[in-house]
Amino acid sequence: MLKIQDLGYWYQDEAHPLFQGINLTFESGKSYAILGHSGTGKTTFLSLIAGLDKPKAGEILLGDHALKQIGLTNYRRHDVAIVFQAYNLFTYMSPMNNLLTAMAITEAEHAGDRAYAKQILNDLGIGDNLVDRNVQQLSGGQQQRVAIARTMCCDAQVIVADEPTGNLDEDNTKAVIAQFQRIAHEQNKCVIIVTHEPDVAAQCDHQYRLENKQFTKLT
Amino acid sequence: MNFFKRAWLNIWVKKGRSLLLILVSSAILMFVLAGLLIRSAAVKATETAKNEAGATMTLSANRQAAFKKMRQNSSRSSSKTSRPKLTLTPVKLSDATKIAKLSNIKTSNVTSSTSANAKSYDTVSTTSGMGGNGGGPTGMKSSASSGDTQIDGVTATSLTTTFSEGQSKITKGRGITANDKNTNNVVIEKELASQNNLTVGDTMTLKKTSGNKATVTIKVVGIYTASSTSSASAGPMSTDPANTIYASYTLANTIKGSKYAGTADSVTFNVTNPAKVSTTKKAGNQLISSQYSLSTDDASYQSVKASMANVAGFANKIVWLVAIAGTVILALIVILMIRERRFEIGVLLSLGEARWKIVAQFFTEMLMVIVVAIAIAGAGGKFVGNQLGSQLVSQSTTTQTTTNATSDQPGGQPGGTKGSGPGNRQAASTKAKDLNLEIAVSAVDLAELGGFGLAITFLSIMIAAGGIIRLEPKKVLIS
Ligand SMILES: Nc1ncnc2c1ncn2[C@@H]1O[C@H](COP(=O)(O)OP(=O)(O)OP(=O)(O)O)[C@@H](O)[C@H]1O
Ligand SMILES: [Mg+2]
Repeated sequence: MLKIQDLGYWYQDEAHPLFQGINLTFESGKSYAILGHSGTGKTTFLSLIAGLDKPKAGEILLGDHALKQIGLTNYRRHDVAIVFQAYNLFTYMSPMNNLLTAMAITEAEHAGDRAYAKQILNDLGIGDNLVDRNVQQLSGGQQQRVAIARTMCCDAQVIVADEPTGNLDEDNTKAVIAQFQRIAHEQNKCVIIVTHEPDVAAQCDHQYRLENKQFTKLT
Repeated sequence: MNFFKRAWLNIWVKKGRSLLLILVSSAILMFVLAGLLIRSAAVKATETAKNEAGATMTLSANRQAAFKKMRQNSSRSSSKTSRPKLTLTPVKLSDATKIAKLSNIKTSNVTSSTSANAKSYDTVSTTSGMGGNGGGPTGMKSSASSGDTQIDGVTATSLTTTFSEGQSKITKGRGITANDKNTNNVVIEKELASQNNLTVGDTMTLKKTSGNKATVTIKVVGIYTASSTSSASAGPMSTDPANTIYASYTLANTIKGSKYAGTADSVTFNVTNPAKVSTTKKAGNQLISSQYSLSTDDASYQSVKASMANVAGFANKIVWLVAIAGTVILALIVILMIRERRFEIGVLLSLGEARWKIVAQFFTEMLMVIVVAIAIAGAGGKFVGNQLGSQLVSQSTTTQTTTNATSDQPGGQPGGTKGSGPGNRQAASTKAKDLNLEIAVSAVDLAELGGFGLAITFLSIMIAAGGIIRLEPKKVLIS
């Protein structure tokens, strides 16, 4: 699905890259956890996969096409969905409108389908009483579930999440990770999660650690 | 069109912020509209001034030509001891009729003045004691022997500046009209009337000062009052202004003598379009011989035009200054708004939204705000415009009237039409004082306001759009 070839990235100093010569493959239908100490470059790596930035060296391929070939905006619109630690949602909208907006922008198959969006929200525990409420009236865990629902209602094959459970309690964390697992296994998508928490990583199909500018496969 | 829906949701949900934006935009647009209204009112006022302030053209004897002829005569006949005589040819009414037919002429007023001596009544005497023997105000050499009663022969009193500008007013009966031609009807001053117990319908008699000194019976059809300003400008040599009797010019001609039939001292034409007065003068000059001359007076029109040009120019500056300042203010607000909403923009970009559509969303939001603001400004702009407009007019007219006093017919026609009624000079300043800007919101003004509103919105968004174009979702969302 996603092929990383000789990937390298640095901010200012080319002599001291964050990582260099990375070769990895991420398959669809699988979930991946990326662990690592703070400041090693996990988020930076994820931003490259998410098409938010261009690699300094090497290439990322989706199927047979390099991202720069596809175009980053196009790639973000059609192929990848992102969940951040916070600020994921449009604060002036309801969960329903957040999903409808995302589907419209990404030209998703189910764009405009309220029943479909509602089903996904319900599945993630956002009940009918919350569906049309302003998202600012939802708890952090509920908001994060809406963000995950948004990645599910769009057609993106790659789902990336940067510490999606960073602000959540234990119960919510479990529920969210379980959802990601379902997305990978039931919707046959490729899920890549950056996390600090070994418990979270343990639930994923594969684990990588970013250390000394290299990715090491743990499981 | 998803950005349109987003714009609407944003404006609707964040009502407080939308309201603030509407208030700021309304304030800006209100000043723009005030400027626009004052400008269009000034243009309209100039238009009206053409009709109301008007301009006149006067046909009278050519004094310069007459002087030249007199000098030629005196040098040729220098042996003779007699003083050279200045002969002014009275204006022929047939010439006046021809000029009156020119396209730009609205009305014409024949003026023929003379004097006679009171017979059945007593004249009003001035406190300075100059009463009985004032100089003949006609300026006509042929009627040099002067009486104690000034006869101002006119076509109609309403056509004289003295009456039209309000220095004299009919208080009883009626004024002289064109229908009084060939009658002995007169209008007398209130003081003269009360002193002699005369009222409308009474008759009185006076005596000619020349020829057979015959008695003429005249009939009072109206009584007028003269304000003190008109007497001040009547000159030191005249009799008390209360002794001025208005009559048809035919009566004045009869008193002057039979050879004056069909003539006048001068004929004053009111022109329809003061802007074209010089063209009309040219056309008029083709119709008359060099014995006569046409002089024009459009001072009051010029003064109105100049003061309105001042106002319009100032209003124009207001419009542009406010528009520019408004654009800058709105741009700053939008820039701040973009900073505040960088997460939202970041999420939109991460979803793959095109940047121009995000700009379009902000533009649509501001457009919704501005449409409401235009409506509010449309309602309030009239008020602001009225306040500002009256301030401006009072300022510009005071400066105008002072320049007016000196711009009075330079050089030409020195006193040639003294008899044609005093007050031409005051006409300009009186008119300017009466000037008022009529502030009214027309569809054109609103359309122009809409144009400015759109332009301000568009420009401010364009200025602020750099913030959206440069925004990097990675930096916003991953920190
Ligand atoms: N825009 C930037 N300019 C320069 N240096 C940066 C920039 N963003 C990140 N860095 C640096 O790059 C390194 C990697 O940052 P990154 O955010 O990818 O780490 P991380 O592994 O996600 O850390 P954490 O676990 O704390 O989130 C850090 O040392 C950071 O200071
Ligand atoms: Mg990070």
